[in-house]
Amino acid sequence: MTDDTHALATGLRQRDPDLLDRLIEQYQQRLYRYLLFLTGNPSLAEDLFQETWIRVLERGSQYNGKSKFESWLFAIARNLVIDASRRKKVSSLEDLGDPDSNTPYDPPDERAASVLQMLVTRENEQIVQLSLLKIPAYYREVLLLRFSEELGLEEIAAVMATPISTVKSRLYRGLTALKTVMTEGAV
Amino acid sequence: MNEYLHERARQLLAESVVEGLRPADEAWLREHLAACPDCSQEAAATQNVLRALRAVPVSVPRDLAARTQLRVRLRAQQTSPAANGTFWLWAVTAASWLLGVFSAPLVWRGFAWLGANFGVPKLALEFGFILWWTVPPLLAGAIILHQKALTAEWSNKN
Repeated sequence: MTDDTHALATGLRQRDPDLLDRLIEQYQQRLYRYLLFLTGNPSLAEDLFQETWIRVLERGSQYNGKSKFESWLFAIARNLVIDASRRKKVSSLEDLGDPDSNTPYDPPDERAASVLQMLVTRENEQIVQLSLLKIPAYYREVLLLRFSEELGLEEIAAVMATPISTVKSRLYRGLTALKTVMTEGAV
Repeated sequence: MNEYLHERARQLLAESVVEGLRPADEAWLREHLAACPDCSQEAAATQNVLRALRAVPVSVPRDLAARTQLRVRLRAQQTSPAANGTFWLWAVTAASWLLGVFSAPLVWRGFAWLGANFGVPKLALEFGFILWWTVPPLLAGAIILHQKALTAEWSNKN
């Protein structure tokens, strides 16, 4: 455990409000982006963003500092997304856990995509970002964690509570799916 | 060029971005890409996708962080150790009240013995007995004051 993660774990255990303020500032972009692309719904992403930090406050003592803080944070956010998808039908939250199921993928509704489009600011990258919304959430998630958040394979496996082999296979399939959607010009 | 070589190049391209390549495979891929325009184009397309993924720009709602910080602080305050002390306040009050009730006959006898043997005035004995009964609320009051002090300290810190 490094000094930084040790200090972080201690601060979280003590529910240090200043530390939490700093963490919210520091991770706002990454966490919101993760939630937004996972849910495809800005309003839900905002709610889950706040809920995630409430959980961090309440369960801070469970962070042992042995893993990266962001892995722990994303795992909390992911569980909240799954809970939310169980409570209400959210179109892009289909079956995060089992990509091999026969459930057909239900693409996000146009409204969610158009709102998201408004949030995307750089035109050149819109194609990739909107293509992301056209691939299944379990691929989208793993691609974001690997290439946007730059988490390692082991860290992604920890976030998703799944074996590394599953992470790898989803990455390969996800990249293929993303390229296919893009070449088909389906955006 | 053999189709198998292109297939291998595509596999290695995917491997290189997902889990990295061994030096020998990396060298082979580099050599192949230099000689094969199609695979080189595929590699460039993959890199473009990755670049875009790495730079997914999303605008965070302007005051989301501030609203979240406020909500977290409020929750922290609601669930602070001082707020959680309510249970102990009730427990200590109940225990001291029960102690007062059950020990009253003994205390009464004790006071009567004191009066008989030491000639303590009746008024003083009665005052002492009343004081005995006021111990629980006094104790509870002390705890409440202590709690308020803790809460004030927590609020000042936040």
